[in-house]
Amino acid sequence: MASVESRYIATAKADAEGRLIEADEVLARLQQACGGTIGSRIAIPELLALVEKAQRYGLRLARQFEAVDGENRVTAWVEIAPQSSDEDADSGSTIDVVSWHSEGLPPENDIEAARRRVEINRHLADCTARLDSSQRLLSIDTQAPDLAEFADAALANVGRPWTDLVSLPGNSHQQPLHWRLLDGTKCTVEGSSRSWTAHLEPLGQPQPGSAGFVLYLTADSPLSAGLTNEEATGPDGPSFGRDLTPVLRQPINRIIANAETIRTKLAGPLADEYSSYAADIATAAQHLLALIDDLSDLEVVESDDFATAPDRIELADVARRACGILGVRAREKGITLVAPPEGESQLAIAEFRRVLQILLNLVGNAIRYSPEESQVWIRLDRIGNRALITVADQGHGLEDAQKEQVFEKFERLGRSGDGGSGLGLYISRRIARAMDGDLTVESAPGLGARFTLSVPAADEMREIPR
Amino acid sequence: MPMPDASTPVAADHESLRDALVRGNATLARIGPILAHLMATPDHSLFSDEIIARIRGMCHHLAWQVLRAQAEAAGQAGREAFAERHGAALAEHMLATPGLLAHCHALALEWQLTERLETQYGIDPVLSPLVQELIASEDSGLASSAMASLTAQARFAQAQRRMELPLAELPGDIFHDLLMNWRAYSGQLRSDAMIRAEAKLRNAFDEGAGRIALMSRVIASMGGEGRRALDIDHGGAAFYLTALATRTGQSRVAAVLSTNHEQTARLALGLRGAGLDSAEVERQVLRIDPKAVPAREIAEMPPEAARQILSESASAGVV
Repeated sequence: MASVESRYIATAKADAEGRLIEADEVLARLQQACGGTIGSRIAIPELLALVEKAQRYGLRLARQFEAVDGENRVTAWVEIAPQSSDEDADSGSTIDVVSWHSEGLPPENDIEAARRRVEINRHLADCTARLDSSQRLLSIDTQAPDLAEFADAALANVGRPWTDLVSLPGNSHQQPLHWRLLDGTKCTVEGSSRSWTAHLEPLGQPQPGSAGFVLYLTADSPLSAGLTNEEATGPDGPSFGRDLTPVLRQPINRIIANAETIRTKLAGPLADEYSSYAADIATAAQHLLALIDDLSDLEVVESDDFATAPDRIELADVARRACGILGVRAREKGITLVAPPEGESQLAIAEFRRVLQILLNLVGNAIRYSPEESQVWIRLDRIGNRALITVADQGHGLEDAQKEQVFEKFERLGRSGDGGSGLGLYISRRIARAMDGDLTVESAPGLGARFTLSVPAADEMREIPR
Repeated sequence: MPMPDASTPVAADHESLRDALVRGNATLARIGPILAHLMATPDHSLFSDEIIARIRGMCHHLAWQVLRAQAEAAGQAGREAFAERHGAALAEHMLATPGLLAHCHALALEWQLTERLETQYGIDPVLSPLVQELIASEDSGLASSAMASLTAQARFAQAQRRMELPLAELPGDIFHDLLMNWRAYSGQLRSDAMIRAEAKLRNAFDEGAGRIALMSRVIASMGGEGRRALDIDHGGAAFYLTALATRTGQSRVAAVLSTNHEQTARLALGLRGAGLDSAEVERQVLRIDPKAVPAREIAEMPPEAARQILSESASAGVV
């Protein structure tokens, strides 16, 4: 087959979704004139249809397309080659422009233009009303939520001129004016913050308007745009959990690792005071890390779409796991952790990971605030359809006023410098409630505290073990 | 099925004979309308024996090419024999596709027109004055695509004389339909070899290398100058039809059909829509059909209006 020597006027690439990834001069300009950008979907209708067809068929196509860039009619010959590689079924296509002609558009005839304007109004209008030949309201219809109030008011005033129902700026004339003067006026509508343009389509022949009018109200901006602007200010700022946590973790882990190296004198002999400074650095860094984790957790549990993944779990397992993890820390303080006895079992419907997180927080607190040589118990129980897991300590206990306070955000009950962020219990309760459960405390001064997590109970273990 | 007594086979025989008669009746019932239509049509230029034979030939050739690709992918010995064996059935199946049928029909009519112009006016089927001029063009891109279209037209002439149609000459949509049709025909029997064969055919396909695309490309590259192809003595049938189609937004099939002498109005409207003045339109119409009565109505009609009328008639499902 004879091949054609082709010098391409322009080349472009589209991805599998029909977005124009890159484009040379002429095509890029046409894309912009049609309302698109590089990186957005191809905005040239005939070209998009061709690209999609070539990709759907998996065939190289060569066709002519026409487009209008606002002032000129463009006729171009393009060759489209889908780029299919074996591993990736459709990975876009290349577009090569072989010829390009543009000629000025003939001036549009007035009747055509008027007809098209009516078409556009008809499609864009948020509110359509039928008026009689004196522009009095006969019926009204709207889908826009911010016009509902207006529509109700208008329906109660059927028979009044429509100009009484909206506010026309600079309205000092006897309304309604001739429809040609009112066509295209700006107005505001009760209950809507958008500004509106009224268009009147006259009905009837031979005298336009003799059979009445259709009134179109078209807003200057779509309703959703306002909402997205408001939303954008919220989550679009840097998110602590998503953006900062991973960035901060790495240097802090490095500080901890180096401080530990100095503390344990791994790199050589060192004066004891320096070693203990290093221990302070490591402790502070660990605290910082815990704080960061808490803050990112806080962000997660406070977001609206926070949800847990409930499963059937064995609370005794979770309790023993928590005891295992914190056993070393407890022994350092001479505290004994008393896990549920072997053989005891309580099934619940909750997310294992989240329950463990709560339990680690509760047991960690108990270790932190209990006197040395004391005991911390973890007990399982069931009341009705609630499965309970209780962490009891022999610490100072809480006063009545403090019992609710401990669950507040950043609440430290006057303590400081012990490695807590004041977020643990707040986060734990949020998680508990997200699992359809709760976290409560019973305590009296001098008698220790009993924190109880309750979650929905389950009766039998799933057939297939995890 | 077990036969409980002797009377059943006889009943079954009767039944199958009756079925055969019913099938026969259906065929006979179609004779009337077809015959009446053929007799009532003053000329048979749209479905003469020659045209029918050409369409059949092209469809057979298409089927044969697809089957040959299949046999090749399956590594089958005796590829020709395989294609021969199944060719007729697949071709019958393809003949039921309106798009393909219309395309083949238009090609056959175009070739007939090309041959007629050669005998009547001595217009070369391949090398028209326009093509000669374009090949010598200073625009090397245009010259090279004109050269490629000349080669493609020579190939077309050869293929038409053999009543063949290479797969590569199909427009993309029809090629795609044909492959889908082949899938449907094979049904459950679709094997790995067929999938390989189809992928190979798709990869090898390049619409831009086909004759119709090359000619459209030349016309598009000429821009406003493309109007010159609408002088049939100058452009030759192939470029004339291509320019008529691209400049009026008609399909090439519609452009070809408009040269039939029952379709003078369509041709005149098309030429007017493509931008010819009324004297030129009249001259061109008479050149194609000397017996035609030129439509005077179009003299005052603006080209946009002519295109509008054409597109309305096309959307009404005529072509």
